[in-house]
Amino acid sequence: MARVAITGAGIVSPLGNSLQAFQRSLAQARSGIRRLPEELTQGSGVKVGALVDWSPAPFFKDGEAANLDRVSQFALAASAQALEASGMDLADADRSRIGVYWGTGMGGAHTLDASYKTVYGAGEWRLRPLAVVMAMNNAAGSNVAVRHGLGGPFANFSTACSSSAMALGEAMRAVQAGRADAMVAGGAEALLTPGTLTAWQALRTLAPGDPHDPAASCKPFDQRRAGLVLGEGAAAFVLEEESRARARGARILGFLTGYGNTCDAAHMSRPDRGGQTRAMREALADAGLRPKDIGYINAHGTATAVGDVVEADAINAVFQDAEPLVSSTKSLHGHLLGGAGALELAVALLALEQGVVAPTAFLEQPDPAIRLRHVALQAARIDPPRAVMSNSFAFGGSNVVLVAEQNGDGPHFP
Amino acid sequence: MDTLSRIKALAAKEFSIDADGLDPAAPLDTLGIDSLSFIEFMFKVEEEFGVSVSDEELKSIKTLADLERHVGAALAAAGKL
Repeated sequence: MARVAITGAGIVSPLGNSLQAFQRSLAQARSGIRRLPEELTQGSGVKVGALVDWSPAPFFKDGEAANLDRVSQFALAASAQALEASGMDLADADRSRIGVYWGTGMGGAHTLDASYKTVYGAGEWRLRPLAVVMAMNNAAGSNVAVRHGLGGPFANFSTACSSSAMALGEAMRAVQAGRADAMVAGGAEALLTPGTLTAWQALRTLAPGDPHDPAASCKPFDQRRAGLVLGEGAAAFVLEEESRARARGARILGFLTGYGNTCDAAHMSRPDRGGQTRAMREALADAGLRPKDIGYINAHGTATAVGDVVEADAINAVFQDAEPLVSSTKSLHGHLLGGAGALELAVALLALEQGVVAPTAFLEQPDPAIRLRHVALQAARIDPPRAVMSNSFAFGGSNVVLVAEQNGDGPHFP
Repeated sequence: MDTLSRIKALAAKEFSIDADGLDPAAPLDTLGIDSLSFIEFMFKVEEEFGVSVSDEELKSIKTLADLERHVGAALAAAGKL
């Protein structure tokens, strides 16, 4: 079966809008979480979030962005970066053999919010004609395919917080199966609107916000953890069959080799150790690796009371005495929901390539019920491990685990 | 500004093209305006002029000059011209 090389990455995130800026912030443990402006929070009661510092100008021509929901803008910007970084000459490529698998939880949330406000709020029963194609869940991925003329396999995964991890795992499968020569895969989320924030607040799962330091509001694995912090952004990767990547002399950032996908089939929101354990074991078996080959796990680690304990138990059940390093970088970039798995693969690749393990920031008082080898507060430097893992567990019981392996021919990230 | 100039200015903004170079008689697709973009553009034209163009009328609009005629007629019918 073909090995799948990762030959490009692109990022739009609360920690910067390039792979380099994102990784620099991670290495410095700089949090992108802050107090949200009043026009976003309104009556929702939500205090903090991880916003992207966004201006469409560098990525879009005049007027173009006005016809794209924020989630599609993020997706297009991240994908363009990934394709450029891959060095692939699309003009010369058979683009019917290059596909797009994308993940998003909610799709065009800003368009939906604005539309409902117009109709129900203002009583104006007249919406712009692009409302449907801007809001639809597959718009972000489809925009990527349209922009670059990528006519290979297309799919849009919407499984809440595992959406983009699933897009990456399935894209890996598409390349392995020979259905595509290369894939653009990743995910995006942009749902920080007053309406969506109100719905999340009702779920009683959001951190209230650290009154002294809003940047420190998300504290995974800490005794003081109080819930998750919503974020937004996108991450895209170019996945490519190894011999194709080698033939064109591409920079290979790592290999995507393991994909586990299970459903708890137990509860809509309560996490389940069994489902998570099976997903991690499946990903390891898929890659043909043993637990001790994994040097670092980017945990799902949302900083909820129950979720962090269940994940730690699941990790310990799988890894036992192998004890990989573990961190949850949601403490820095917030929870990107449908975009989380893709963004966090970029975190795992930083450890794989450079041996820089981004920390669980603000983890000062580890919960004694959570027995993990934490990388806390500051980034750690290690010998680049053979392989890394990234966990994405979602409402609805979807569990996706990705494993990436080292190239072995030295670091490429600047 | 006359109706055609206002339509051309709107089109220039919507499609990022030069208003001076817009030929009112040119078929819209030769200006790079596809059917979906045109419907979105019509929404903005209706807002700008405060008129409504029916689906039937929409089908007969092939150029910016056609559009000017329909908008002009709608303005006249509404007593706005």
